[in-house]
Amino acid sequence: MCSKIALLSFFLVAGCSGPQQEVEIPFEIRFGESPLTCASSIEGVTLTDLRFYVHDIRLVTADREERDLTPVDDPLWQSAEVALLDFESGEGRCTNGTEQVNNVVRGLIPPGDYVALKFRIGVPEHLNHADPLRADAPLNYSFMHWHWLTGYKFLRAGVAGEDDGFWIHLGSSHCERTSAGTTVCHAQNRPSVTLSPYVPGRDVVKLDLRELVSGIDLYDGTPSDCSSGPAETECQMPFAALGIDFHTGDTVATPTVFRVGLRE
Amino acid sequence: MTRLRNAVAITLAAIAFAARDYEWSLPDGIPLPVVPADNPMSREKVTLGRHLFYDKRLSVNGATSCATCHVQELAFTDGRARAVGATGEVHPRGSMTLVNAAWSGKLTWANHLVDTLEAQALIPMFGEQPIEMGMAGRESTFTRLLSQDDYYRRAFRNAFPDDSDPYSVLNAVRSLASFVRTIVSFDSPYDRFQRGDAAALTDGQVRGMDLFFSERLECFHCHGGFNFTDSTTHANVLVQSVGFHNNGLYNIGATGEYPPDNTGLYDLTGERRDMGRFKAPTLRNVAVTAPYMHDGSIGSLSEAIEHYARGGRLITDGPYAGDGSRNPYRSEFVRGFELSEQERSDLIAFVEALTDESVLVDPQYSNPF
Repeated sequence: MCSKIALLSFFLVAGCSGPQQEVEIPFEIRFGESPLTCASSIEGVTLTDLRFYVHDIRLVTADREERDLTPVDDPLWQSAEVALLDFESGEGRCTNGTEQVNNVVRGLIPPGDYVALKFRIGVPEHLNHADPLRADAPLNYSFMHWHWLTGYKFLRAGVAGEDDGFWIHLGSSHCERTSAGTTVCHAQNRPSVTLSPYVPGRDVVKLDLRELVSGIDLYDGTPSDCSSGPAETECQMPFAALGIDFHTGDTVATPTVFRVGLRE
Repeated sequence: MTRLRNAVAITLAAIAFAARDYEWSLPDGIPLPVVPADNPMSREKVTLGRHLFYDKRLSVNGATSCATCHVQELAFTDGRARAVGATGEVHPRGSMTLVNAAWSGKLTWANHLVDTLEAQALIPMFGEQPIEMGMAGRESTFTRLLSQDDYYRRAFRNAFPDDSDPYSVLNAVRSLASFVRTIVSFDSPYDRFQRGDAAALTDGQVRGMDLFFSERLECFHCHGGFNFTDSTTHANVLVQSVGFHNNGLYNIGATGEYPPDNTGLYDLTGERRDMGRFKAPTLRNVAVTAPYMHDGSIGSLSEAIEHYARGGRLITDGPYAGDGSRNPYRSEFVRGFELSEQERSDLIAFVEALTDESVLVDPQYSNPF
């Protein structure tokens, strides 16, 4: 309810817990320094897929106070708890994609002097194992559903060369079924990202797919993939780039995949 | 006029009641299956689900329907070692029978998370690893067909009269699951013998039955109960039985390893003790569901019995070399046994007596198009 009032009255409003301002967190996709798309190649590499959820988004003030950024409702991309970013346009090599793209998270936060950004990749645990056919956007897209693990793909990304390529489906793994009929996954695989300095309005989050596939040979003619399974050795390098321990699923390092750039 | 209207209303109410009050036709002693509270059985859903089951338009390229991999004459399997999806991708595993799936506590070969047919149906429809029906990201194409096709326009409205927009993936899945729940088979020679028809089994088959249920062979520990699998549930069950077993098919490198694309329950849990653990499928109609095992790597009933007699499979060379009988995760019930030639043929004769010819030809499960 808060967010709807805020949207109507735009930018600065008196919300439920004091005044709120709307903030945009834009994302850009890079391969090294260059933009990467479905229809153009950089270093012989083209985008085939990039869609991921973010949640638990916070901005940090100069005196290190963390404040929640609440995504505003959006019929396609956001609910109050989770947002979907989608960089594949269905063109070129993105053969199983959709035309719609989304490169920004929009949320409400109290006004302040913010200097850093934190967020997590993935779907919050309490939403991850609910019936996806009854979910609202952005949790209602079958391309993000992971039915065999009764959860969601948190991130799906892929690149392709001429006769080679790599894709990753990241999601919670090492799962058990409780006697109550719910799923509990021991490896949560939700990367935790901290970007500092990050100034909202001035800065953009750059996601570098070259970092994600560092350690994967994209030129040896042997395509490979990772779907977060315990025996998949191809997962180890991309998991490291996402700052996750491949065996426990815990965040153990700062992901190298994300960095801050100036908004153009 | 008022009276007439009331009469119409009463008649409609009666029809609606009848529609919701689905009648199971089960032999004495067979408990009702579990039906999810939010998807009660109805004849409308079953008929609709049967159409969806056989409709190739519901795959990415119009190449496959559910029935492509689940062929009635083969007890709803496909005769292949490994299933092939709409785009030609080969599945790591073979198509499982759908007969009596309503009583299956867990669905697919090795997945302890998927315990309803509604949840299972989504895997072939939308799964990407491997691609089966290939509909991931295409749910709007799917629902558009449902809302535009003459038959589906009527059938969805009839099956889901309370929904303002009944043309949803959710309702399609509810209907498919309802249809699959009706594929019931309890009329094999074995069943008739159990019901008192002493002539239904030959003497050899009776001897084979005794062997099957003996502690010497141990078959029934995993393939026991009214549905010949320990992964069975029903409406009156209090404690859920969940059976997944390593039966010694592989032991790569003597470390217990299975082929990397088929590690069984380990793939989901990451626990070493789950390496190579797969569900014991029902043995009903097993004589028509060759080849056997999750990867179709055993061709005949005779070879399957040979496998269990040895207590695991010895693969002497190649990338999967290893002695499965020494797999450290092997089930304690796969211990090996010796059989005379007569006993072997008796055992096969008994397993063949689990075939219910009627389910293979019953028109209510056949292609409606």
